[in-house]
Amino acid sequence: MKKTQTRSIMVLLMTLAFFAGLIYHTANLWVHSAEWTSVPENGHLSDSNGLDRAGTIFDRNGIILAQSIDGQRVYHENEAIRKACLHVVGDNSTNISTAIQTVYRSDLTGYNFIFGLGLPNSIKTGNDIRLTIDSEVQKAAYQALGSYRGAVMVYNYKTGEIICMASTPTYDPENVPEDLEENEKYEGAYINRAISAAYAPGSTFKLVTSAAALKNIANVEKRTYQCSGHEKIGGKEINCFEPNGFLDFREALTQSCNVYFAKLALEMGKAKMTEQANSMGFNSSVTFDGIQSAKSIYDVSKANDNDLAWSGVGQYTVLETPLNMAMISGAIANGGVPVQPYLVTELEKSFEENKTHRGTKLASRMMSSEIAQKLYDMMDYTVESYYGKSAFSDSLDVCAKTGTAEVDDNGDSHAWVTGFCKDEDCPLAFSVIVEHGNSGYGTAVPVASAVLKTAANQLRTNS
Amino acid sequence: MNDILEMFSFVLRLIAPLVAIIVIVLCFVSLRYGRRDKHALIALEDEERKIRYPVLFWENSIGRSRNSDIRINDLTVSRDHAVLLRRDDGWFITDTGSKAGVYVNGELTEGRQAVYIGDKVTIGTSVLTLRRADAPQDLEQRQRRKSREAKTLPGSVLLSFITVYTIIIAVEALINMGNLDVVVPTVGFLAVSWGYFAMSESVFKRRNFELESLALLLSGTGIVITAAHDTRQAIVQLVAMVLGIAIFCFMLWFIEIPDRVMKWRLATSIVTILLLASSLAIGTVQNGAKNWIVLGPVSIQPSEFAKIAYIFVGASTLDQLQTKKNLFGFIIVTSACVGLLFLMSDFGTAIIFFITFLIIAFMRSGDIKTIILAVTAAVLGVVVILTIKPYIAERFAAWGHVWEYADSTGYQQVNTLIYSASGGLFGVGLSKGYLQYVFASENDLVFGLISEEMGLTIAVMFGVVIGGFMIYARTVTTRSRSTFYSIAACTAGGMLVFQAALNIFGVVDILPLTGVTLPFISYGGSSMAACWGILAFIKAADERTYSRKRMKSRKEKRPVNAAVSVSQQNDDGEDYIEV
Repeated sequence: MKKTQTRSIMVLLMTLAFFAGLIYHTANLWVHSAEWTSVPENGHLSDSNGLDRAGTIFDRNGIILAQSIDGQRVYHENEAIRKACLHVVGDNSTNISTAIQTVYRSDLTGYNFIFGLGLPNSIKTGNDIRLTIDSEVQKAAYQALGSYRGAVMVYNYKTGEIICMASTPTYDPENVPEDLEENEKYEGAYINRAISAAYAPGSTFKLVTSAAALKNIANVEKRTYQCSGHEKIGGKEINCFEPNGFLDFREALTQSCNVYFAKLALEMGKAKMTEQANSMGFNSSVTFDGIQSAKSIYDVSKANDNDLAWSGVGQYTVLETPLNMAMISGAIANGGVPVQPYLVTELEKSFEENKTHRGTKLASRMMSSEIAQKLYDMMDYTVESYYGKSAFSDSLDVCAKTGTAEVDDNGDSHAWVTGFCKDEDCPLAFSVIVEHGNSGYGTAVPVASAVLKTAANQLRTNS
Repeated sequence: MNDILEMFSFVLRLIAPLVAIIVIVLCFVSLRYGRRDKHALIALEDEERKIRYPVLFWENSIGRSRNSDIRINDLTVSRDHAVLLRRDDGWFITDTGSKAGVYVNGELTEGRQAVYIGDKVTIGTSVLTLRRADAPQDLEQRQRRKSREAKTLPGSVLLSFITVYTIIIAVEALINMGNLDVVVPTVGFLAVSWGYFAMSESVFKRRNFELESLALLLSGTGIVITAAHDTRQAIVQLVAMVLGIAIFCFMLWFIEIPDRVMKWRLATSIVTILLLASSLAIGTVQNGAKNWIVLGPVSIQPSEFAKIAYIFVGASTLDQLQTKKNLFGFIIVTSACVGLLFLMSDFGTAIIFFITFLIIAFMRSGDIKTIILAVTAAVLGVVVILTIKPYIAERFAAWGHVWEYADSTGYQQVNTLIYSASGGLFGVGLSKGYLQYVFASENDLVFGLISEEMGLTIAVMFGVVIGGFMIYARTVTTRSRSTFYSIAACTAGGMLVFQAALNIFGVVDILPLTGVTLPFISYGGSSMAACWGILAFIKAADERTYSRKRMKSRKEKRPVNAAVSVSQQNDDGEDYIEV
């Protein structure tokens, strides 16, 4: 019988493995529980379930954006601010998948590992969340976008705080329109365009091509070109908006000569362009505070020479999120390394240590500091010589690059601008996209200008 | 008013796991102290060489092999020479194919031969005299036994705690539901539990009740949680438990005499295969597997009962083990079972049978090569099947990344994870969960349902109880009355643990989802009844299970066989009536 006992070690090992599995499952729950409970499918939290006693959401100045009073979810009293902050804060539903009230719903409702969502209502207390956004800047962005669809992304390139992340079309979370799902006016209203939408970047992509050229082509800055407005590259025409005349590298970026950059892209080839695009955030998504962005796309694997040339000026199939665009400007302003943007400053957990207080984190380097400095100077020169600094603001020293990205053959285009402020007290990187805005300078720059003015004003008075 | 009730139900949720922990701890402590001391029953004395071999177990292998229970270092002794075993009517010796043979008082034995105190057994060149064991070492030993006994708890105490626990969770469910739907199943459960306990005490005269207590704890939770969602199903579950207890009692009676069991093994193997073949022939398909037989209003799953029979076929007494060493017949039965289950597309049960085979094969032969061979054959078989029928693999495609399949094959797992996390350690309250609306929440997903509504504490605790069955089965391997019980108990424990692992880890995406039930807890009559049947094997390995009856029969037969009365004298520690 001794033998039998010795051999029973096999089942003992099996049982120990079973116990190990139980421990693993528990640990897994411990690690992922907040994430798992927050999914929109969770019946405990869907609709106003759970939000009726949820915590308060504050902006950076302590202004209450959403709170629960007597079992009711109440948003900011100003309708414009409610609409402007909709995509950041969210509404009672979980339809806006990147909103704080969706992603942090279980935290807001007082979720903790010990009691799950099982605390009785009478002793349930939600956790409060403090955000980095400024509701006044949000409002300015919302009003500046007006009836256009688009997005504004502004963040502090030194600390990573997202000051503004606005998207239109929007609606009032306090009075959700009944025809939200049917009315064309609200099409795509659940999408936060600043992070969940990607657009053809047009000329703003020339920053990527420039970075690649500065890295890969010796003496590219001395290369000159006589632009006649078009040239046949890879068998087909590449056009400029107008003949740009005699250009060097800096002038080519300033005047946004398509042919010049198309030729550079073709010269460097698919591999080097893709490598640079990848290092500048393309083909991967950004995740901050548990919110995942859409991917910016640069895929030239099936491109012919003409396609590749077009990709160098942000056309072909290239797509970019406003978030990534702002991060590229942020990287240029910050010596080549962007700071990871973040939205949540503080999450007050009732039963756990306050472990989610976030600080500044660097994302991976996009370009060398020398290249960053060169792009910095060129963007500075672009504004100074081409738009004029006063196009943005008299009180801010803004460096920028515009883009007008063709979206169909009828000349309909999206308007872009991206850039940063040189000012020490307003280290802001930004990007603006205006759908069908048709002119980066004409449509996107005024939006950026209005938002930056408010942002500077807010930062300077509240600091 | 609502707030107060809600608060009250919350407090009950906090207390319930506490009471459950008390039940579990008391049961395992009681089991631990219920084990017999390891002291010699009798002794074999080699007077010539002046060696005294204590005989420690009910079945002892005698041989030259290093692992023999009684090792005789003598080249004329075969490696596995003979088996000395104790039965209710005395001690016997069986020659297990030795070269030199076994002589009792100078006569060559054939088959099983009774031996008595003073008999001279010749094994090889050694002449061994059967002696009484050394007199029990007195007072100290006795006292130690007494103190141990004080720690084994009467079943009434355990069952009282279970009653308290069940009432707590039932009241909690009642508050949350706002109706009286749980009352009938709960009261029925408690009545059946106490009824069985009374029977166990008075009719079967058993003193140990720990294993039943643990099984009742699990079954009761299963019944109440089912009642919180569907009263009719809870009644079905309760009836199945009654049936299960009946099977449990029948099994304990049937396997009481190991030698009788050995005679029935061929018949049982045929029954096992017939059970499975019947569901293949006349069964109906449910949830993709053809393993149900519908008889009027009742539908049963024969494969669940085949599990009991299969353990039966696999286990063996020591003398049989040593005589017939090959696993040939058993492999044929196994292949037939696994093959039939595959034809029925019941892959979960097929894997359970296969793992059970591995356990039995190893426990019987100790041969790691056999195991490797079997596993290799199985892997090859699976590869062949997946090549012929690639759609089977699709059923498990979600494994490891269920979130990507959240709308299709990963739906059940994803919901289990969401709602397990929502429940925290103490749950959101019976009937207040959302997992109940997901398909198969009360059987396949019951672990998630418990996690959500009763909390992770209770869910994990139940996993520990099932693992505890196994650990216990292992600690009594040398103390049970035959290797038949040891092997059967370890196999039964292993089967329950493996099935629990498939169920729990399947729904939380650690293993592929195979759709097997969680022993004792999942809704499903056949499963519930069969689990009680499987538990009987573990119960039988507990020496106390048969001790009272043994006493009685021994008293009657005492004059016939002197050796027994000796052993009884040494045994008095564990023969509860006399102490």
